[in-house]
Amino acid sequence: MKYTPTVGEILQAKGVSRRGFLKYCATTASLLALPPSMIPRIAEAIENARRPSVIWLSFQECTGCTESLTRSASPTVEGLIFDAISLDYHHTLQAAAGEQAEAARHAAMEENDGNYLVLVDGSIPMGNPGYSTIAGISNYDMLMDTVKGAAAVVAIGSCAAFGGLPGANPNPTGAVAVQDLVKDKPVINVPGCPPIPMVMTAVLTQFLTFGKIPDLDKHGRPLAFFGNTIHDRCYRRPFYEQGKFAESFDDEGAKAGWCLYKLGCKGPTTYNACATVKWNSGTSFPIESGHPCLGCSEPRFWDKGGFYQPLSTGHFGSGATVAGAAAAGVALGVVAAAAGRRRQNKFTKEA
Amino acid sequence: MDLLEFARGPALQFAALVLVAGTIWRIVGIVLLKKKPDYSEPRGPGGLGAALKVIYTRAFTAPPFKQATLYPKIMAYVMHIGLFATIFLFTPHIVFFEGWTGFDWPGLPNSVIFFIGVATVVSGFALIIRRMTSPVLKLISNFDDYFSWFVTMLPLITGLLIPVRAFFRYEDLMAIHILSVALLLIWLPFGKLGHTFLVFITRGTTGMVFERRGAKT
Amino acid sequence: MSQGDEIPVQVEAMHGNVRPILNEVMHALDKLLEAGITTTIDLASLPFAPGELDELEATFGKGELSAKLDALGTSRIRETTYPGVWWIEHRNAHDEVVGRYLEVTRLPDILSSQDADIMAGRARLGEQFE
Repeated sequence: MKYTPTVGEILQAKGVSRRGFLKYCATTASLLALPPSMIPRIAEAIENARRPSVIWLSFQECTGCTESLTRSASPTVEGLIFDAISLDYHHTLQAAAGEQAEAARHAAMEENDGNYLVLVDGSIPMGNPGYSTIAGISNYDMLMDTVKGAAAVVAIGSCAAFGGLPGANPNPTGAVAVQDLVKDKPVINVPGCPPIPMVMTAVLTQFLTFGKIPDLDKHGRPLAFFGNTIHDRCYRRPFYEQGKFAESFDDEGAKAGWCLYKLGCKGPTTYNACATVKWNSGTSFPIESGHPCLGCSEPRFWDKGGFYQPLSTGHFGSGATVAGAAAAGVALGVVAAAAGRRRQNKFTKEA
Repeated sequence: MDLLEFARGPALQFAALVLVAGTIWRIVGIVLLKKKPDYSEPRGPGGLGAALKVIYTRAFTAPPFKQATLYPKIMAYVMHIGLFATIFLFTPHIVFFEGWTGFDWPGLPNSVIFFIGVATVVSGFALIIRRMTSPVLKLISNFDDYFSWFVTMLPLITGLLIPVRAFFRYEDLMAIHILSVALLLIWLPFGKLGHTFLVFITRGTTGMVFERRGAKT
Repeated sequence: MSQGDEIPVQVEAMHGNVRPILNEVMHALDKLLEAGITTTIDLASLPFAPGELDELEATFGKGELSAKLDALGTSRIRETTYPGVWWIEHRNAHDEVVGRYLEVTRLPDILSSQDADIMAGRARLGEQFE
């Protein structure tokens, strides 16, 4: 059995001082939205964590999730994590290709049977296995084969978590999510289009250091990052409450930073960490930059009305159906009036 | 389709269609009835002017009844004005109407709407308690009265719960709120809630008939 | 208007995140004096409107003591104009901010020499001696 060093040993070997390590733990606590009092526990957990194996499978995806992760907030932390984990298989990032790459995947699966983490981005086409293949193997076959000995599966991005863009109307490839196929292993969904890089890393770190699945909501998303809506954490919320809304892009209200509800913001029904963790090392997030939230971490967000249609827009059906209802009303009214008039005549006759 | 999508979509659509059909049904059914011919000499014109005048003057209590009806009148005005404000002057509702009519208008701040909403609920409960305890009202009230009150209060209370949130998710509270509105819209044309549109016809007709007969309007 | 930081930021309304933090720090100082308890506030966990963080930093100001730590990037640890209240800012090797804390304590732990480092240094010194 190959000796696997702990993360602590790896860091020490890299010449990271204890102060540097404490700084890393503080950043990690921040990333995981854990209180500063947890830092000593994190330090202990990380120091003693074994170096795990990670297999990354890319299916019907745009590679945005990988891009987001590798452009991460604090490359040093990411670099440490990726040095600490053993990324044994990743199409975009690995140097190997073809049969050698597949051999590496199988070797990692065998060596770490029961302990490796499978990360998936992209949806899986069920319409025809030929729609998306790697080395001649269909996505479905590769997924079901790889998860057999996995400790857990992390579905990265809205495509893997919920079907995403390929799964949007009319879903020509029959795209499905990881959780629709993997039933016997724990599945963690980290949705977003793409997910916030810090969130992706934090979920990985949380699993790797504490060795357990974080608390998940009903869509399988870690509550630590998907427990609150954007609306509940948005800094523009006071404007919503005061009734100050931007009416169009670039109007006075928009320039003054008012609420974007009327421009289609999906903040109230979207659970994600964008309003607190933000993007690009905490620089900003869509609403702060003046664009309404798309709701990209919610299932089927592509098919939920328009991005620029306010949430409270009513859907009344076509004018034709309403006209039909009106006509039905007239018809019923005439019938009722006819019956009423007959009764009236009867009474007048009787009188 | 989750509950919120169902509420916002098919449920509301169906309710809107029932509202349209039901309202037109009732109006047509009433307007097409025979008018009892009045063979007496007209003592007044009894036309549209009279109709409009009485629609307006009926808002004010006739002097002999003022004192006795002061309390229910105030409660009813608070409830009706409160309903108008919470439905039509709350910005997310205005956005809803804008999607439908194309018009929008300024709204009141959310905190003001919330306060008005609470006042409306209080007045509504004051009125239902009066209905249940007053000896006369108790006798003459039926299912229609109580159910109409219930379907009016439900959207109000569920709407107020949304900012309060407690332990519930926004989407669940919103779905229940919209479904309760759908229930209101479906019931509206058929029961006593139909007074929403019928009151103008009845008052107007009363005005026309009375003025023709020379009664004070 | 090509650079992001050239766009003037108009701070329309103070959402009042500064006052609650000042209050929290006041109570933390009381706890420090009474029972020697250290309190750490993670500023990254609070939603600040544009300009609010600067207002907070300006409110606390710069005290007598400031230290620069070079480990996995630069970190700046300085006491504010309120003794016992330290402003800690961690940056990574690309000079991006990765952590911001207010620590109410006599001396932030990260300033002390750490046992593991002392032991490693002692070992190195021993080798030099030979």
